[in-house]
Amino acid sequence: MSAADTPAAAAPRTRRIIPFLVFALAIALLVATPFLPNYHIRVINGLLIYILLGIGLNIVIGYAGLLDLGFVAFYAVGAYTYALLASPQFDLHLPFLLILLIAAFLGMLTGILLGIPVLKLRGDYLAIVTLGFGEIIRIMMNNVDWLTGGPQGIARLDKASVFGIEFARPVEIYFLLLVIVFTVAVLVWRMEQSILGKAWAAIREDQDAARGIGINTTNAKLAAFATSASIGSIAGVIFAASQRFVSPESFTLQESVLIVLMIVIGGIGNILGIVAGAAILILLPEVLREFAEWRILFLGLLMIVLIIIRPAGIVPRSFGPDKLIRGLFGK
Amino acid sequence: MTLIFQNIRKQYGSNVAIDDVSTEFVPGLIHGIIGPNGAGKSTLINMTAGSYTVSSGAIVLDGRQMQSLKKYEIANSGIARTYQNIRLFDQMTALENLEVCYYPTEVGATWREVLWPPFSRSQRERRREACMEILRFFNLQGYATAEAGSLPYGRQRMLEIARALVMNPRVLLLDEPAAGLNHHETAELTAKLAELRSPARIMIIVEHDMDLVMTLCDRIVVMHHGKLLFQGTPAEVQANPDVQLAYLGTANDIDEIRAAAQDRRAKLGIRARQRS
Repeated sequence: MSAADTPAAAAPRTRRIIPFLVFALAIALLVATPFLPNYHIRVINGLLIYILLGIGLNIVIGYAGLLDLGFVAFYAVGAYTYALLASPQFDLHLPFLLILLIAAFLGMLTGILLGIPVLKLRGDYLAIVTLGFGEIIRIMMNNVDWLTGGPQGIARLDKASVFGIEFARPVEIYFLLLVIVFTVAVLVWRMEQSILGKAWAAIREDQDAARGIGINTTNAKLAAFATSASIGSIAGVIFAASQRFVSPESFTLQESVLIVLMIVIGGIGNILGIVAGAAILILLPEVLREFAEWRILFLGLLMIVLIIIRPAGIVPRSFGPDKLIRGLFGK
Repeated sequence: MTLIFQNIRKQYGSNVAIDDVSTEFVPGLIHGIIGPNGAGKSTLINMTAGSYTVSSGAIVLDGRQMQSLKKYEIANSGIARTYQNIRLFDQMTALENLEVCYYPTEVGATWREVLWPPFSRSQRERRREACMEILRFFNLQGYATAEAGSLPYGRQRMLEIARALVMNPRVLLLDEPAAGLNHHETAELTAKLAELRSPARIMIIVEHDMDLVMTLCDRIVVMHHGKLLFQGTPAEVQANPDVQLAYLGTANDIDEIRAAAQDRRAKLGIRARQRS
């Protein structure tokens, strides 16, 4: 009897220690980042932007269960919004926060525009159409020279500044990103917990039964597309403001696929999972820089191993932020 | 308040699934729809709930035509249903399966719920309490935080009815609620359904379990080959020769079938069904 009790009692304790250690490590990294060399800060900034993108795309893929392979389009919309409104291109120099709002709105609009024609599609069909949409936006950016500067892109973008405080150096961008990522993560998590989030889950589980309980699936899905797209667009603004240069090259299909991979590897439908997935997919290639030519092979192996040992992702849906908070602060 | 079928018809190409059915359902009563497989019983339910379109004719609830509304609009005008094959939101908890039904009335407050923690706390508290009460009615409170898909089959059937009830429907459509349940569970279901009879609610049950139908239903519609064959009280239905021929079989037939089945079981060495 007591022999049977020991492992059962030990299991919850390890389950509590591992997330705690990972969490402590993450906090330590966040605190240490400002003191690292610029190059490292840039890498972390890239990571934070990908986390933001992951949180956005996860609304559509993880919450509402709609596979979107063209997410990078919204990222591009945001980046080009900033590039056009804060650069010598048209000699417009709007304030950063205003552009952030405009971009969020434009992203939302694009999300709805994409959402309307694909509402009836699911699964593979939806994936193909959204993939096409992503490419259309990129090709358009590449060809509408008078607007976007074509393949050369737009350079010499303004430095971002909020209420007179400039955000240009990597460490400054880092703090800006930290605030935005944290705010967006909290809002999106609360959204998932709201009645709308529950409706998204119901649509994911059984769309027809969701209609049967009175959910207007059209509106709920459009809300998912719109929220997700506007977060993608916000990420684009910050990306453009930190690079101070945009070109269509940054918005290839590969980027969309990378974000989807982050979500799938990390834990679909879970913000904590996205952080984990992004950390692995962005930081690991940096750590393994010397083996750059093995990167794709390594990624393939990682995927195979994860699919076998953790099919629900590194941090499964069931271990959400609420569980982490409860685990850390007791109760 | 009544639910009226006016000459409704459902056609797939040249195949007529429902042929000119007219009838009326009234609140306070439990209506049964019976008939052999393929008679069109489920099709009637599916058309009423908006899962299928109606080829011609009208479905009228309280003077309002329902057949051209979208499925979610039909649900929001007070028609709730369960499915022949259970369709719960499997990866959501039992409690969430009920809570999500508050979407139509509360989605407008989503932003307040996201941005204002005290509001969301009271909102969620109220929602949870109301849903827990319904779970308790079905003795499901112990499963509140379990994933719906992990519940035993019989509990899933109950949960699906609970989910339909959260919507506080004026019309409750139950598509074979006893399918796959054992004797004990069927008895429990029968008792619960009897309690749900309310002057504010029209209940319609499609069911093959004749014990349940005859015990529970006040009015029965018999379907046969897409046509309405007969309607009346359980006693009238049982006594009707057409119905006996088409579906129930005469008393002699039933005895014969039962005897034959027992024989087969004995030959195969299957013991009589045991329920504890």
